[in-house]
Amino acid sequence: MKSKLLLALISMTLAGTAAAQVKPEDAIKYRQSGYAFMAWNMARIKANAEGTYNKDEVVKAANAIQAIANSGMGALYLPGTDKGKGWEETRVKPELFTDKEKVGKAGMAFNKEANEMAKVAAAGDVAAVKEQLGKLGGTCKGCHDDFKMKK
Amino acid sequence: MDSPRIRLWDLPTRLFHWTLVACVGAAVVTGQLGGGLIDLHGKLGLAIVGLVVFRLVWGMVGSTYARFAQFFPTPAKVKAYLRGEWQGEGHNPLGAMAVFGLLILLAVQVATGLFSNDDIAFVGPLYELIDKELSNRLTGIHHLAANILIALIVLHVAAIVFYGHAKKQKLLKPMITGWKEGHGESAKGGGLIALLVALLIASGAVYGASGAWLPEPLPPPPPAETPNW
Repeated sequence: MKSKLLLALISMTLAGTAAAQVKPEDAIKYRQSGYAFMAWNMARIKANAEGTYNKDEVVKAANAIQAIANSGMGALYLPGTDKGKGWEETRVKPELFTDKEKVGKAGMAFNKEANEMAKVAAAGDVAAVKEQLGKLGGTCKGCHDDFKMKK
Repeated sequence: MDSPRIRLWDLPTRLFHWTLVACVGAAVVTGQLGGGLIDLHGKLGLAIVGLVVFRLVWGMVGSTYARFAQFFPTPAKVKAYLRGEWQGEGHNPLGAMAVFGLLILLAVQVATGLFSNDDIAFVGPLYELIDKELSNRLTGIHHLAANILIALIVLHVAAIVFYGHAKKQKLLKPMITGWKEGHGESAKGGGLIALLVALLIASGAVYGASGAWLPEPLPPPPPAETPNW
């Protein structure tokens, strides 16, 4: 019993520290990597929708975006990461850390459209993919407009 | 011969003006909405490149009141106007400042837009020519200048309403019909050859801005051999 408690305590502590152990610099890097990787996949879907359509490519790309969208990236917006350098200087606005309701809405909208994108990609209708890509891009913009700094 | 009305704005100037209104209006809306409309926004930008360049050329070879030299707002003219001593047809010195302001802002908008990116799935047609860092900066300017442009358009429209009510000057009608009631000299010049030259230069500008001349990013036929996982 004691040892079990101890184990639980240790694992909790470890889990706690594991989450806290993401250095601010790394958190910003992970964020930027996630967005950059999604950008590649957005461009892939767009190129397919506008050129020769390869369903397999689009499914892969849409699944990648969906996976990132559902990865809980919000956890990377740790206190103290409103400024700092990852791969480059972060362009997050301080409002992202304060206006939690608005950020939450933007995040949910994005999640919803990313999930829908994966579904539409699986169905494989080009026109629908194009339209859904527009909707998905719109939710990216929704967050960019409010929470990404304009240089 | 005394005529009760004068030819003020030539047809190309009026067509330019109203096409620009439509394109800029649509560009503002598509730019704000984004999403699937962003590609249309880019195409509208190219159309505006053509319109602005056309107007710049027409400001030199167009008819009398369309020429920049005719209405360039020199400090002396502005002072005279503010004292109520300015006399003339066409753009008054304050209106002229708005014209130049709008043209300059539009030029900034299209120039920055051509190199912009939205960090989503859109890049301007000349994005390839510069690095991402610079593109980000230009995109920032594009967003900022959009707000200034919208403010200036509001001022432009407000001024026309103000002149109509307070000064009893109907500015809208001449921009539609080309004719202005009153005495004065009708516009001259801006013939067919001038129009063709302006259209040619404008088309060239659109072609240049479209990036159609850029080398293909990758020769498409042989797909690079990459791991298939």
